[in-house]
Amino acid sequence: MNLLVIFIGAALINNFVLQQFLGICPFVGVSKKVDSSFSMGMATTFVMVISAMVTWLIYNLILVPFELQILQYVAFILVIASLVQFVEMFIKKVSKPLYDALGIFLPLITTNCAILGLALTAVLKEYNFMETLIYGVGAGIGFTLALVIMAGIREELELVDVPKSFQGAAITMIIAGSLALAFMGFAGII
Amino acid sequence: MNNTAKIIIVLTLLTVISGAVLAVLDSYTKPRIEAYQNQLKNAAVAEVLPQNVKVESTEKEDFTYYTATKAGEVVAYAFQVSGGGYQSELVVMVCVTPDFSEIIATKVISQVETPGLGTKIENDPTNKEHPTWFMDQFKGLKINPTITYVKNAKPSKDTEIQAITGATISSAAIVDILNKQIKTAKAIIGE
Amino acid sequence: MKEKTAIQELVKGIWDENPVLVQLLGLCPTLAVTSSAENGLAMGLAATFVLLCSSFLVSMFRKMIPGQVRIAAYIVIIATFVTIADRFLAAFVPDISKSLGPFIPLIIVNCMILGRQEAFASKNGIGRSLLDAMGMGLGFTFTLLVLSSIREILGAGTWFGMRIMWESFAEWGVMSQAPGAFITLGCLIAGANWINARRKA
Repeated sequence: MNLLVIFIGAALINNFVLQQFLGICPFVGVSKKVDSSFSMGMATTFVMVISAMVTWLIYNLILVPFELQILQYVAFILVIASLVQFVEMFIKKVSKPLYDALGIFLPLITTNCAILGLALTAVLKEYNFMETLIYGVGAGIGFTLALVIMAGIREELELVDVPKSFQGAAITMIIAGSLALAFMGFAGII
Repeated sequence: MNNTAKIIIVLTLLTVISGAVLAVLDSYTKPRIEAYQNQLKNAAVAEVLPQNVKVESTEKEDFTYYTATKAGEVVAYAFQVSGGGYQSELVVMVCVTPDFSEIIATKVISQVETPGLGTKIENDPTNKEHPTWFMDQFKGLKINPTITYVKNAKPSKDTEIQAITGATISSAAIVDILNKQIKTAKAIIGE
Repeated sequence: MKEKTAIQELVKGIWDENPVLVQLLGLCPTLAVTSSAENGLAMGLAATFVLLCSSFLVSMFRKMIPGQVRIAAYIVIIATFVTIADRFLAAFVPDISKSLGPFIPLIIVNCMILGRQEAFASKNGIGRSLLDAMGMGLGFTFTLLVLSSIREILGAGTWFGMRIMWESFAEWGVMSQAPGAFITLGCLIAGANWINARRKA
């Protein structure tokens, strides 16, 4: 399958957040400011791509040949959890301010369903290694895009009177709904 | 040292127990799941083949196909085709005429495409009179030498079908899978 | 802080500390599988099963799991039970299993489950942990049921597959799809906030 189609599919048409409902927790939790949203998006994309590749290797080179597919979930999530640990240590060493800015949301990348979801879907679609890689990059970019757009809107929202009951998650959901509606328009691209 | 040893022991024990439990689970559930898949396949075969035929299943070169005969004469072949759709594996049972010139019927066995878009290849709830319109297009479709699809227009040739708006990839995948694998099946069945 | 009675441990998850509407956990499956009441219920029950079993084990072995690796340990336990739930669904109700798709395995990263292990089961006895798990599971299932019922009735005119709306009702297709999910959940959260604000007044 055309790599470009996979990329656009993952980033726009089947956007992980707005169409596939993956990564909603960080979407609601981190999208208050544009720059932290962008950093979160990039960190997530990084973990997504590497974990997609590693889980692909483990699935196709170990689980399948030895008929151990039943261990898929346990293996995948352990890979992801370890990866996030490494990324956390790495960012802490390389850029302490970034580490502080992302705070608790860094370890929470482990429970970002988008990462496990990506690994599982790539296996389900029987993508080869290259396709998995592109799929991961596209998904990550789509995730970042959704986060940044939402952050941009929420920054504006700070200046407006949102009814008390709707403040926080509720209004974010409703805006997400409008964004999802808009993104559905991409379906006609291909 | 004591703490590290504890960590290693606990994690190893946990993984081993988990592995053992899952192995038992696998042996118990795998046969059931496979039986269900077979049941789906058999139902699909029955659905795509013409009525009142004698069905015989043959396995040749790792490929299973069903020959339908009426009064000793072959009237159709049915076989399963599959391939990647937009976001899932598409499995379809297809039935063709003995000379592979025409598709008699198709039936989607499994797909997990985008709900509301790609899933329309199996069932389109927005088309109340005819929810299976997409697959029904393949009934009587000529393979000459391949089938094609068109977007946002009614088919103009007898080898053409109309793709689903907003689900072009799923639609194209079906056409692609059918083209490739009908050709392969033709070579194997040897007619 | 006053220690909660057993009943309070159970009931808190249903409303006051409702995992979805109040704690904002487990949002992904809440949005994804609630296009039909049947799927919403199945997901709720599957997640409750995993939560109960995991909390049971984590609580039972809480003194033996070293602190540094506790998250990894919880995850392995949770992933094992999710695999069990997934296989059981695939073997006994394959149609539901197919429509729930990848969201059953995603129960593993449902922050509600991991969150309860970290916040409660690792620090409390088995009895209380089970009550807590049961309450959270019920709250989760209840929320999914409400959300999916609204989406199915308005989006397809049916409830659990049975036609409910009058014949000429034109379905609000958007409800079955992404935007409908987001907006309905947003309104439910707002509704919960409003009710809770009035209760505190």
